[in-house]
Amino acid sequence: MPELFDLRVKARSLAYLFTAGAGLGLVTLAFPHDDEVRDLQLVVLAGIAVTIAGVVYVQADRVRAWHLHLALALGTLILTFANYYVGESSLYPLLYTFTALYAFYFFPLGTALAHVAFIAACYSVLLAIQEPASPVVRGLLAVGTPMVAGLLISRLLERVGLETGHAEQRERALRQSEARTRLVLDNAPDAFITTDSDGVILTWNVAAERMFGWTAAEAIGKPMRSLIIPPEFRERHNERRRELIEAEGTVAMQFYDMVLQRRNGERFDGEATVSRVVVGDEILLSGFLRDVTERQRRQEEREELLRAQVARAEAERVADMVSGTQVLVDAALQSASLEEILADLVAGLQRVLGVDAAAIFLAGEDERLRLGASSFGTPPASIEPIAVGDGIAGRVARSGEPLFVQDPDPADLRDPGVRRLKVDSLIAVPMRTGDTVIGVLEVCASPPHRFTADDLGMLRLAADRVALAIAHARVYEREHDVAVTLQRSLLPERLPELPGLEVAAEYLPAAAEPGVGGDWYDVIPIPGGAAGLVMGDVAGKGLAAASMVGRLRSALRAYALEGHDPAMVLQQLNRLVWADAGESQMVTLLYLVVDPAQGVARWVNAGHVPPLLVGGNGAPRFLEGSTSVPLGVLPFPSYDEVSVAMEPGSTIVLYTDGLIEVPGAHIDEGMSRLAQEVKSAPEEPKALCRYLLGHLVPERGASDDVALLTLRNVPLGDRFRVTFANSPESLASMRTLLRRWLRHAGGAEHEIAEITTACSEAATNAIEHAGSVEDAPFEVTGRIRDRDVDITVRDFGAWRTPRSGDQGRGLSLMRALMDTVDVTPTPEGTRVRLERALQGNGGPD
Amino acid sequence: MREGLVGIDIDAKGDVVVARVTGELDIAGASRTGDRIAGSVPTSAAGLVVDFSDLEFIDSSGIAMLFGLARRLDSRRQRLRVVATPGGPVSRVLDIVEFERAAPVHSQPETAIADLE
Repeated sequence: MPELFDLRVKARSLAYLFTAGAGLGLVTLAFPHDDEVRDLQLVVLAGIAVTIAGVVYVQADRVRAWHLHLALALGTLILTFANYYVGESSLYPLLYTFTALYAFYFFPLGTALAHVAFIAACYSVLLAIQEPASPVVRGLLAVGTPMVAGLLISRLLERVGLETGHAEQRERALRQSEARTRLVLDNAPDAFITTDSDGVILTWNVAAERMFGWTAAEAIGKPMRSLIIPPEFRERHNERRRELIEAEGTVAMQFYDMVLQRRNGERFDGEATVSRVVVGDEILLSGFLRDVTERQRRQEEREELLRAQVARAEAERVADMVSGTQVLVDAALQSASLEEILADLVAGLQRVLGVDAAAIFLAGEDERLRLGASSFGTPPASIEPIAVGDGIAGRVARSGEPLFVQDPDPADLRDPGVRRLKVDSLIAVPMRTGDTVIGVLEVCASPPHRFTADDLGMLRLAADRVALAIAHARVYEREHDVAVTLQRSLLPERLPELPGLEVAAEYLPAAAEPGVGGDWYDVIPIPGGAAGLVMGDVAGKGLAAASMVGRLRSALRAYALEGHDPAMVLQQLNRLVWADAGESQMVTLLYLVVDPAQGVARWVNAGHVPPLLVGGNGAPRFLEGSTSVPLGVLPFPSYDEVSVAMEPGSTIVLYTDGLIEVPGAHIDEGMSRLAQEVKSAPEEPKALCRYLLGHLVPERGASDDVALLTLRNVPLGDRFRVTFANSPESLASMRTLLRRWLRHAGGAEHEIAEITTACSEAATNAIEHAGSVEDAPFEVTGRIRDRDVDITVRDFGAWRTPRSGDQGRGLSLMRALMDTVDVTPTPEGTRVRLERALQGNGGPD
Repeated sequence: MREGLVGIDIDAKGDVVVARVTGELDIAGASRTGDRIAGSVPTSAAGLVVDFSDLEFIDSSGIAMLFGLARRLDSRRQRLRVVATPGGPVSRVLDIVEFERAAPVHSQPETAIADLE
């Protein structure tokens, strides 16, 4: 139970009690009594009581509880002595009740009872001396009187105390509460100020001191406005204050934003929470004031952070879009043609940008825009070209500025796919490379999508990427076109006629990796009737590879025509590739010379896959001997020539590794498949090529370029018919063929030589006859029946009478060498028929 | 050196120029071969031996070239000897056109050279 009274109140009450008691005692002396000595004793006792009262009163602020107990006990003793001196008629015992009353009123119950016991003991002693009554009555009197009186009076006083004591208690509680509140307010971060209705400061807490720089002592008693309100706001402040004071009824808490001023004149933004407090008939205003600069700073920081986060999110979104665009641009660039690239781009853009339609228009040199691709797959040719300046795309192309169109005019939507879409908003951005607008990127949104102006910036970024991609694609396509053209020009358009030999070739570009490969083949008629077969593979693709092929091809042709051995040819080529150090090229190359007259194939292999020989009567076998390093690997490699017999009827197959590459399988597997397939393939080279491609290349297409070249040493039977180019170089080929055929027919060496010489003379005439008729071929047919050789050489030119003896000598030579020579001029040309019966080795002529 | 199918080796044996012709001599290379050989014979030379020992083929244009050489040398008072393997295809042709009328044909280059020295 909390102490209701502080010690000061108790002390003063004790002083009042003692003074009253002493006063009462002295008053009794004024009444008639019988003993003078007692008077003196009573005065002394009253003096002691008054002295105690005086000391207690003066020391009320420092008095301790036990001082009061001692004083009260002394008081009880003084009273007892006084009663003794007054005698049995004394009223003084009544005074015991006051003492008990005091104890009950101010002391806890236990202590109060102890005092009552002491009083009772004193009174009992007094009664025992003064009045010989029964001990029980005396005891009851001693205890009961002060008890009953004390209790009754204290009850009575308690009622009075409801008025006086409670007010005091309330005041006390308020003081304590104030102390607590002050404690809280002083430690509060916010300034707490209380003013009276005139705005004079009543309280000023520690935070207010800190905030404004005025101490409480300086502030209290001064008008608040003069201390903390900047002059220009003071009038307004006064108005607010008056409004608040004069307002009727209860006033809710008010919040104000205000500019406040510190002692040093510094101003800051503040915020006040003000309440009106009515105390009795006085109206007070109390308010908390906060310095919001810090909060504003934090708020600004938060906003800044938020802006940064938003910006970062936006940057990330843009980055995603850009990288997304880049990915799709990169992916699109894998496509072979600009058309495909554009189609891939619009589809990708539609996805990455999350738009409902996307289209790319390309600017042509004729000031017109043509649809490059639409996400609806609208065929570009189906859209009329748009003049620059016309429509949305045209306007963007003219101004070079993006256009953001809400609810576009359907007439401006050229793409039927877009027109079907309910276009809500449309953005068209120019695609530029440098200062040139190369086209327009148009995207559409249909409900529930709708573009905002923010999307425009993003689209410009996308358009830049796409423009770059298209520019690259165009360059790439140009390069690609050049390379394709170059490569096509490098592959023989038409294979040469090789007497007695059949050749066929196929070139199949890779399906998976469109581009220009470095594969190439060539067939070179070598003077003397042999054929040079070339199969090569320049590492890499594109223009560089194609131009390397070009250089190798012409160099090889030159060396081959000079009649160099295959090994020498490759050494020369290696020098060429090696010297091209900047390119760090590597070339595999197989050069194989078939000499049908001798029935021999000689070759040199620089790191290429081995050719396959399909013999007349043996199993197919790879010509694997002596493979050297590829060209361009060593400065001076040694190339060894290897030869193999090539019987009439046998076929040789040259190829690049694209033919035998099986994904995931070893190259040997592909080679054995080739050897296997060849067994059941047709013999005729063209059919053989198609068969091999059909059976070895997967249906989805080759993974690498495939070049395939086959040559068959055609077995010459009893008849042949061969057409030769109208050129002196054909003569050697014709002779080679004839020698082979005559040997086959069983002619003796001298017979073979003579018949060949005669035919060569006839063919020489045919070449000369052709004269101005360019490229008119001549034809040689041979027939052998029994042992009679019958050869006819036909030309398609005009017969000319021999002008000199030389040509006359040719005719006489023919006549000397053959049994019959028959020259028949016809309107179409001249036919020379030569006949001779073979004797064989039996007997020379 | 080679001219198409024709190989030509020029060598000087004292006063005598030896032109060894190999391969096949036809209209494709005949006139160039003739010019080349004629150009290699200095006026100081006693004569020329055209060695056809390893020539595999000759036709009327080759013969014409040979007759032409004979005429040019004759006008410079230089002599011509031709070598051909007897029984070979070249010999056969030389016989048919009766080249012996223009210049002697030897079977060995040594005898031809000795003949001119």
